[in-house]
Amino acid sequence: MDFKLTEEQEKRRKEFYDVCKELREKRPECIYTLLDAFETDREDALAYERNCRKEFGERGWLRLGWPAEYDGIGTMMDRVFFGEATGYHGVPGVDGLGVGMLAPMLIHEANEDVKRRFLPPIGKGDVLWCELWSEPNAGSDLAGLTTTAIRKGDEFIINGQKTWSSFAHRADWGFGLYKSDPQGRKNHNLSFILMDMKTPGIEIKPLYYFDGRHFYNDVFFDNVHVPAENIVGEENKGWMVAQTLAAFERSSVGAVMTLVRQLEDLVQYCNETKVGGRFLAQDPIIRNRLADAASEIEASRTLSYHIADLQDRNEMALFDASAIKVYTAELTERVAALALDILGSYGQIKTSKWAPLGGSWEANSHTCFIYSIAMGTNEIQKNIISWYGLGMPRPPKPAPKA
Amino acid sequence: MDTTFTEEQEMLRKSASDYLAKEVPEIKVREIEESESGLDPVLWKGMADLGWMALVVPEDYSGMGMTFQDLNIILEEMGKNITPGPFFCTVLEGCYPIMEAGTEEQKKKYLPGIANGDLIFTMAILETEGIYEASDVNTRAIPKDGNFVINGTKLFVEQANNAKYLVCVTRTQEGTLPEEGITLFIVDAKTSGVHCEVIPTIGMEKLCQVDFKDVIVPRENMLGELNNGWSVVRSILQKAAIAKASESLGAMEAIIPMTVDYLKQRVQYEQPLAQFQALQHIVADMFIRMTAGKYLVYEASWMQSEGMSCSKEVAMAKAYVNQAYRELSRLMIRLYGGNGTNREFKPGLYYRRAIAADIAFGSTDFQKDLISDEIGLIR
Repeated sequence: MDFKLTEEQEKRRKEFYDVCKELREKRPECIYTLLDAFETDREDALAYERNCRKEFGERGWLRLGWPAEYDGIGTMMDRVFFGEATGYHGVPGVDGLGVGMLAPMLIHEANEDVKRRFLPPIGKGDVLWCELWSEPNAGSDLAGLTTTAIRKGDEFIINGQKTWSSFAHRADWGFGLYKSDPQGRKNHNLSFILMDMKTPGIEIKPLYYFDGRHFYNDVFFDNVHVPAENIVGEENKGWMVAQTLAAFERSSVGAVMTLVRQLEDLVQYCNETKVGGRFLAQDPIIRNRLADAASEIEASRTLSYHIADLQDRNEMALFDASAIKVYTAELTERVAALALDILGSYGQIKTSKWAPLGGSWEANSHTCFIYSIAMGTNEIQKNIISWYGLGMPRPPKPAPKA
Repeated sequence: MDTTFTEEQEMLRKSASDYLAKEVPEIKVREIEESESGLDPVLWKGMADLGWMALVVPEDYSGMGMTFQDLNIILEEMGKNITPGPFFCTVLEGCYPIMEAGTEEQKKKYLPGIANGDLIFTMAILETEGIYEASDVNTRAIPKDGNFVINGTKLFVEQANNAKYLVCVTRTQEGTLPEEGITLFIVDAKTSGVHCEVIPTIGMEKLCQVDFKDVIVPRENMLGELNNGWSVVRSILQKAAIAKASESLGAMEAIIPMTVDYLKQRVQYEQPLAQFQALQHIVADMFIRMTAGKYLVYEASWMQSEGMSCSKEVAMAKAYVNQAYRELSRLMIRLYGGNGTNREFKPGLYYRRAIAADIAFGSTDFQKDLISDEIGLIR
């Protein structure tokens, strides 16, 4: 047990933090949360996101931990430190879907041709990816999806609808799961396919988040022709590919570092803000609650390191990964609620001259749910822990309808 | 970074776990708890034979010279079946103060005896307010004829009824700050004027009231410097807080499979309770809470072991585990239903200890006050 970093790691980590700090200083005023960087009507935000992405691509930081033959540099652990730095400084430019999930999965699962075609643009930061995953009637029960990809010659013909697709309106490419054998057994009838979002027959409509932001989309497919060579893994074996991808979703160091920064900002606010003749920092209740949050954030940080350490050695801590996902997600909700309590009347203000910390807490009070619901809801994670981690029997399935 | 244990450490854990499973079953725990002394000489001898009391004692004093982190592995295992007895107080409250503040003569005199299991030690810190603050230390030690004379009452002194020696925290001078003027003495428990009585407490670990009435202690028994003893106390409190958190972590790790086993065995509505999703999610929450705290404890223990400054991490680990252990034991009771409150069943054993563990070496609110300073909130 040794949490110490090597000299080399310390050096890399510092470089990540230094560059991200510099980029943060250039962040346009209109970006209060990372999601703002992708808002449709904010040209300066989009330009900023592109610049960050280009800079990271040039430095090779979007290829951390990749094998050398795909121009990879550094280790999986470097990837974690880089995630820390972007999370802490709130800098966009790392496409969480392409860089964070798809690329590591492709390295494990895809054939050489797919790797050669798709990895380089991700590594250079030339493309943005979106996820074509959930459907209106397939959320937690993802394997019950109905959008079809029917093989015809050297193409798949895709029909149906996907939803909750983050940034589909900005994405160049989309990866998704489709029913390729409509008569096949559940979980054995799906294929994992990559698609150019400019292909004819795709229609994208915004699905507004409850604070009015547009990052989610509905995506409709009307006879969309996709080359068969864009499949990852074998036909009808997409479920396994999706499982590998999901495992890469749950490394949460970036999310934890966002909380570390939020806590620091709150401490500073409490040290500078007087209410009723004393600083908020001197209120015993606020001290007590911030101390609690700080302990929980540190707990989450140390466990994230453990999981990253195991991943770095190619050992997957599956149930610990589910545990950290649930814990950090719920902590994110608790910290958002705590901030609102501390800010009092000012917590409700959207961006305005009256808004403390740029109105970010009003925004966080909405966005704090994303992590609990995405990537397999917390409740699904608890099923995984119960059934596969702790060995409790699955509840019986309801009898089929007569 | 390597967040796993070494092969040697895993072997140490395995040997502790095997020994405790065999020698300290639930029935033995209850027997020791309910005995008047709270000490099982056979078990104590067995632990000495395995070298547990010698673990952190330097080799020059007949010890094994292992690390604080190694010790915490043993404590985590002991926590799993809530092993009662004077191990914790002897090592944390006797051995460490002597290793840190003792003179060469004192080390030679006491450490080999601690290492081979002959000497049981404890530390007398708390007084009437029951808080770990120097301001509560009012037991006086006054110099007289080359000796010191101690007068006062100490509370919650663990296993003082079994101890051969007490490390007594006394006030030797009124300073401008309460932390000034504190001095530690090694007091032979048999000295005339020392009177000890067990206070019945929820954890049943034999916390004692110890009265000192004109107790004469030779000057050479002073541990550390005159009037500068509080820094030693602070250092011991920090180590003890991690050690207690390690025990509690072990207990939480044990509670989860025990609860799962119970839920699998108990059948209602023609199915095991373990198959009800409402109950599964409660157990999953317990697992998540335990898992999230695990590396917080390991981190604090590692930092302490490396001699790094870690007051923040220690306070965080203790505050976290205090609350988590209490919550897990509470949920354990709930999941056992009526049997959770039946004396014959296990939940009560853990629930009672969780409360005692929270209080020992700094309750949750005490730790949170330390944390607020450490994260930069102004006072």
